[in-house]
Amino acid sequence: MKTAYRVLALIIAAVVAIQAAAIGYAVFAQMNWIENGGTLDKAAFESSAPGSGALLFHAFEGLAVFLIALALLIVSFFAKIPHGVRWAVIVLVCTFVQIALGTLSHLLAPIGALHGAVALVLFGVAVTAAMRARKPAAVEEPVPAQVV
Amino acid sequence: MADRSNRVRLVIALVATLAILAPLAWLWQSSLVAKSYSVMGMGYLDYGGGAAGVHDHEAGARSVADITVGTTRKADLRVDLVAAQQNLTIGGKSVPGYTLNGTSPGPTITAREGQLVEVHLRNASVKAGVTLHWHGYHVPAAMDGVAGVTQDEVPIGGEFIYRFVANQIGTYWYHSHQVSNPQVIGGLFGTLVVLPKAGRTDPVDVVAAAHTYAGMKTINGVVGDLKVPAKPGQQVRVRVINTDNGPIETWADTPFRVQAVDGFPVNGPTEVTDRSVTITAGGRADLGITVPSDGKAVRVQISKGTAVAVGAGDPVPPPQPAAALDLLSYGRPTALPFDPATANRHFDYSIGRRPGFVRGAPGLWWSINGHLYPHVPMYVVREGDVVMMHIDNHSGELHPMHLHGHHAVVLARNGVAATGSPWWMDSLNVLDGETYDIAFVANNPGIWLDHCHHLKHAAQGMVAHLMYEGVDTPYRIGGTPRNRPE
Repeated sequence: MKTAYRVLALIIAAVVAIQAAAIGYAVFAQMNWIENGGTLDKAAFESSAPGSGALLFHAFEGLAVFLIALALLIVSFFAKIPHGVRWAVIVLVCTFVQIALGTLSHLLAPIGALHGAVALVLFGVAVTAAMRARKPAAVEEPVPAQVV
Repeated sequence: MADRSNRVRLVIALVATLAILAPLAWLWQSSLVAKSYSVMGMGYLDYGGGAAGVHDHEAGARSVADITVGTTRKADLRVDLVAAQQNLTIGGKSVPGYTLNGTSPGPTITAREGQLVEVHLRNASVKAGVTLHWHGYHVPAAMDGVAGVTQDEVPIGGEFIYRFVANQIGTYWYHSHQVSNPQVIGGLFGTLVVLPKAGRTDPVDVVAAAHTYAGMKTINGVVGDLKVPAKPGQQVRVRVINTDNGPIETWADTPFRVQAVDGFPVNGPTEVTDRSVTITAGGRADLGITVPSDGKAVRVQISKGTAVAVGAGDPVPPPQPAAALDLLSYGRPTALPFDPATANRHFDYSIGRRPGFVRGAPGLWWSINGHLYPHVPMYVVREGDVVMMHIDNHSGELHPMHLHGHHAVVLARNGVAATGSPWWMDSLNVLDGETYDIAFVANNPGIWLDHCHHLKHAAQGMVAHLMYEGVDTPYRIGGTPRNRPE
């Protein structure tokens, strides 16, 4: 279970990185398209203009992260990792916040900036959760030696 | 002691797991649809405050397949269309797609008012099957071309004959409504123009079907400008048809009039100079221009990148106006042929977005009145009813809403009443945060889709139906034949 916890947490971190890559690709694919004379409006965007596929993938994969985070939480119930449940909850909450920010960005573009920044937080907490699963439980909370 | 503690811990873990998974499993299970199902059993019946009558598969219902123009009258105009799945050459590139009679778009069908049009559709090689839907045209229900609702898909080697009387003049189009999401994007469509009995009203009449193939913007399947010869002083009608999944803007470097919207004439159109015209997905606008007396060429821009260039020369593309024309106040008001105040059905079409499952797949899905597909409303009407519909979009994205078989008139947007020409439409650009009040007379019995014409959204379940009581369908979605309307 510990391994499952670690692997799921690492998958979440990896997916966040892929999400960033998809956005980076989409922005530059669209810029190149426009610079070479292409027209990007809603009609073109919704009809397979370069980069639009990556943006759709980004939206779809965002929800996949939420499902993986749910799986991480369930695994944490059985994994007996100190504070494992707490970190799984933090990852899940971050994922939820990310989806909410991503959805709200359609209404108010500046929220998109927060969406980008919180992605780094999610990446960080996912890696932290994975690292916690690596530590043997016995040395998890060492009692400091008393120097007399 | 430690064993007991472990057991308690395990029980808590199992209960917590169950608390997460059980609701998800229930939601997943309830989103599943049968391998084959009838739209008659889908969702819930919404009577809009009107009378509840004969519905569903009750005795005495007539089949949608029987609602035709009959077979006795001979066709005035016969068109043969052969659908094929093949590569297209667009802008010098080869892209996978579909053709009708070897081209995409398919041929423009030009009929005269009152003619009986008969279209023989044959499927030569479209693997998933094909149908033809007459977008915006009030055809008899059996001719609406929706696989699994008004007919079965036409398999390879199969044929279907569409017959309808061309009672509406104006600009329309036809497209597949079997697996319509990839097929229309891939080019399985054509245009339909119905002229008045006396013929053309403008000396120069141009059809300009805008479509994006694999990211490339085209007019009538060709990348770049459509050059149209015209003499100084001539009246030109440019029939712009948006066959894409999102709205386009059109504007010109000379004053123009919006002569018709979605095929219906605008009453008292005035000259537009500093505005663009938004044409939503599936929508049409007829723009009227006069070629300047000095013969200078004019451009009707169809989004950036494509244009109809009328006259001699190669004018510079005009900049896009900062604002779009508001059809709510455009043109001169005139009496409606019915009184919306007498409406006896009041429906809500509230578009949202929420997490859940559609056909077993998790996602952030479009909701209609809070429900996800297939638990969507079936709006029930009786022939002769006056129907009001309140559309409310709070889904975060725009939706081009399209009701089959009818035109509705826009009464208000965001609570502000219409003050211009009656704005008749079959495709409505509903932005996020907007509300519309529309009205129509239920005068075309059948079972009609009322859906988002962003065909990917439709495929994601953004489809409701308008059902006339006493009408049933023998067709089914899924199963064999494999009807998949979206």
